[in-house]
Amino acid sequence: MTHVSRRVFLAGAAAVVSAASPRAADPGDRIRKLVMLSAPQSNDPQEFQAAQLLAQAWRQLGLEIEVRPLPRPQLADIVWNQRDKWDMSMWRMVGRPERSDPDELVYSLFHSSTANGGYDFVTYINKDYDRAAESERQEIDPRKRQVFMYQAQDIIDRDQPYIFLVFPKNTFAYSSKVWKPESMVEQSGIGIRCFWTFVRAEPASAQKDMIVNAAEPLVALNPLYIGGAVDSWMTELVWDRLMRVGPDGLPVPWSASRAEWTDATTLDLALRPGQTWHDGEKVTIDDVLFSLQAPANGNFSPMYKPFVANIAEVTATGEDTVRIKLKTPNAGFLTASLAKLNLVPKHIWGPLMDSQMAKGQSAEQYQEPKPIGSGPFRMVSFNLQDQVVLEANEKHWAAPKMARWILRVVTNNDAALGMLQRGEINFLTDYRGDPKVLVDMAKQDAAIQVVSTTDMGFRFLAPNGRRPPFNDPTFRRALSSATNRQMLAAAAWNGFAIPANSMVAPSLTFWAKPGINDLKVDMGEAKKLLTDAGYTVVDGHLHYPPGVKETLTGS
Amino acid sequence: MTHVLRRLVLMLLVLWAIASILFLMFRLMPGDPTTAYIDPTFTAEQRQVVLHQFGLDLPLWRQYAIYIGNLLHGELGLSFRYRAPVAGLILNVLPNTLLLTLTALVIAYIFGALGGALLAMKRGTWVEAVTIPLVLATRAAPEFWLGMLLLAVFAFAFGWFPSGGAVTAGAAFPSALARVTSADFAHHLVLPAATLAIYLQGLPLLLMRANMLEVMQEEFITMARMKGFGEWSIMLRHAARNALLPLVTAFALGFGASVGGNVVVETVFSWPGIGRMLVDAVASSDYPLAQGAFLLIAAVLVVMNAVADMLYGVLDPRVAHAAG
Repeated sequence: MTHVSRRVFLAGAAAVVSAASPRAADPGDRIRKLVMLSAPQSNDPQEFQAAQLLAQAWRQLGLEIEVRPLPRPQLADIVWNQRDKWDMSMWRMVGRPERSDPDELVYSLFHSSTANGGYDFVTYINKDYDRAAESERQEIDPRKRQVFMYQAQDIIDRDQPYIFLVFPKNTFAYSSKVWKPESMVEQSGIGIRCFWTFVRAEPASAQKDMIVNAAEPLVALNPLYIGGAVDSWMTELVWDRLMRVGPDGLPVPWSASRAEWTDATTLDLALRPGQTWHDGEKVTIDDVLFSLQAPANGNFSPMYKPFVANIAEVTATGEDTVRIKLKTPNAGFLTASLAKLNLVPKHIWGPLMDSQMAKGQSAEQYQEPKPIGSGPFRMVSFNLQDQVVLEANEKHWAAPKMARWILRVVTNNDAALGMLQRGEINFLTDYRGDPKVLVDMAKQDAAIQVVSTTDMGFRFLAPNGRRPPFNDPTFRRALSSATNRQMLAAAAWNGFAIPANSMVAPSLTFWAKPGINDLKVDMGEAKKLLTDAGYTVVDGHLHYPPGVKETLTGS
Repeated sequence: MTHVLRRLVLMLLVLWAIASILFLMFRLMPGDPTTAYIDPTFTAEQRQVVLHQFGLDLPLWRQYAIYIGNLLHGELGLSFRYRAPVAGLILNVLPNTLLLTLTALVIAYIFGALGGALLAMKRGTWVEAVTIPLVLATRAAPEFWLGMLLLAVFAFAFGWFPSGGAVTAGAAFPSALARVTSADFAHHLVLPAATLAIYLQGLPLLLMRANMLEVMQEEFITMARMKGFGEWSIMLRHAARNALLPLVTAFALGFGASVGGNVVVETVFSWPGIGRMLVDAVASSDYPLAQGAFLLIAAVLVVMNAVADMLYGVLDPRVAHAAG
């Protein structure tokens, strides 16, 4: 196997520069066989099929492409830890309520500061982009910030550091015999499996327990550690947060009754009065201070530390008011930090923090036998491999209408469908099979309601900017033009996806640049882009522009 | 006595070898437990912190020394993913797996022993012609297919049994013991145990039949016939008792093997068992948990092997004699 060192990457970049003034000479080197990493079919059929379709299309440009399926942990290990040893890889970004402010993605995915060991694993480096991302992060005025967001999206559209593919749809189903359809809330970019449905769903019959499913076991029930996807559904019900991301994607005060910026780095918050922890203790301003300060303490909470890293100081300004000073302006702070950090009781976690730190351990190594939060649901019992039972916290100011919320771990997709039909579950919250099967099932059973929502997360192909030919934006643009996203959405995702060309999902209506995702597939344009840049096809194989040598060395 | 002692030392050696192979195997496997943390906010520094927490920044020989040292103290370490002691995680699901496995094995072996004896008696008849292919077919049928079939018929169509899990949603029990001895648990156990039993019954049945046929050629059977005993008495009291011996070994080994081998049944029936946990642990590069679970399975297998050996000696004095 051949590898490209960083030095060769620079040489490649230089070669691209020289290609701007093509000499009427022999074509450059033939582009080597390119390897496209993907999840195996058994693990992610949609992704695998999309990879096959992409390879098929791009071969028409004269490229030789091998799709190489790898189990997810191995694939991630190569892409993340061996940054100059792969050509391109399928990848995904999942949607989460806190990503309703696009800052986390706009900044971390492409800002050059994250190229070395951070999320910019495609090694996209562009000063103009860095400036746009820094500006959107610091601008508090939404109107002005929108301009920078649009700018960032335009630059990404031009340079195509990712070949975006689709925004998939999240499909969930519930029984309308058990839950009133008008009380189910579809959160923008997330779907009906969301906090708002869980607190607002109204029983339509005597069955007042909401029984939901998860396709994998839980890892932990901890306000300071999320070990797997399912953990986060529970934590946001048991532990409250100062802010919540509303159904429309905008932050709304929750445990705080108000949140006001007094200047670009000063935020004043008031705590909603009358809140109590599940053990009966009062939620105090000390708890709020503790919740914002504890994650910053050494390695006590490695997972939440980045979300408080920008806090310079938190001070109580009254019995129920608090002031947060930030180190630098951060427009996404309300959503990305305050709607993410859990409020934790100081009387429980304070002593725990001391004892854990003394043992050289973090909050992550401690599982409360009975977790205590201040959220709308109380913990009744849990067995991580089997089921979790929560009950409505009737003392909560936004008390749920249901009696209990029960999560069952159902590892068999088809059995989960059967359970929904039989009422063993009444809300299918985790379905990893073909959504069409679900839709067809609902046609047979009038009580089953299926709701599909376009995710704010997306699927993409990551071309490795450290390796030629992917270090050439024109080459990437050509690949993008040769990509039929409509067809991918229809064929690989069975119609449950829409074309993507931006890291800002269309569900984030205020931030997504209108029309940015309307890329047309144009094989002629793709070929023209390559020809104009000096690439030539010789005997059916694509060659670099004249004078460009593909010098790959072992590293 | 020295025989037992030698056996014990040998068992420990085998377990040490297995533990060492497991240790190396997981560390040589591609993949890295920190990939589970990849997130837009995850940085190279954070990765180092995680590696340090897991002790993966130490040289391999030191990791090995710590691992073996812990094992000698009966410590299986902390799971990377669950951040909890491996022993506790395994103990939490072990009863589920043991109950599933034992129920299925007992049913399979009782059915197999009786069925095998009967088939030996019916040698050459139409009963044999129909039954043998049927047994072979169920033995060869993939477990997930069998499981899905039982689910489709007895859960989805007739609604006699639940579609998965170990207890009804929201069921509460005063203790773990009360949970596994409840009628609810038993109700949930039926389909997975039946699937596993159907899958397992082929071996004891065919083994029993072959042994019976062999024993029936022995002189003492002829002798019994000459004495004028009834056919049923000869079969059950003389032939079957002798033919049962190899089944004891098979049962013990089968038990050892199926403690960890129920991944498919556990997944199809959403049964919270050790097989499922093991697969998850391997997939997420959770070395301590995977090592612990594999080691437990190996230990059960090694112990059951020894038990089978000793039982054999007790049941058949000729063997004990030879071993001594």
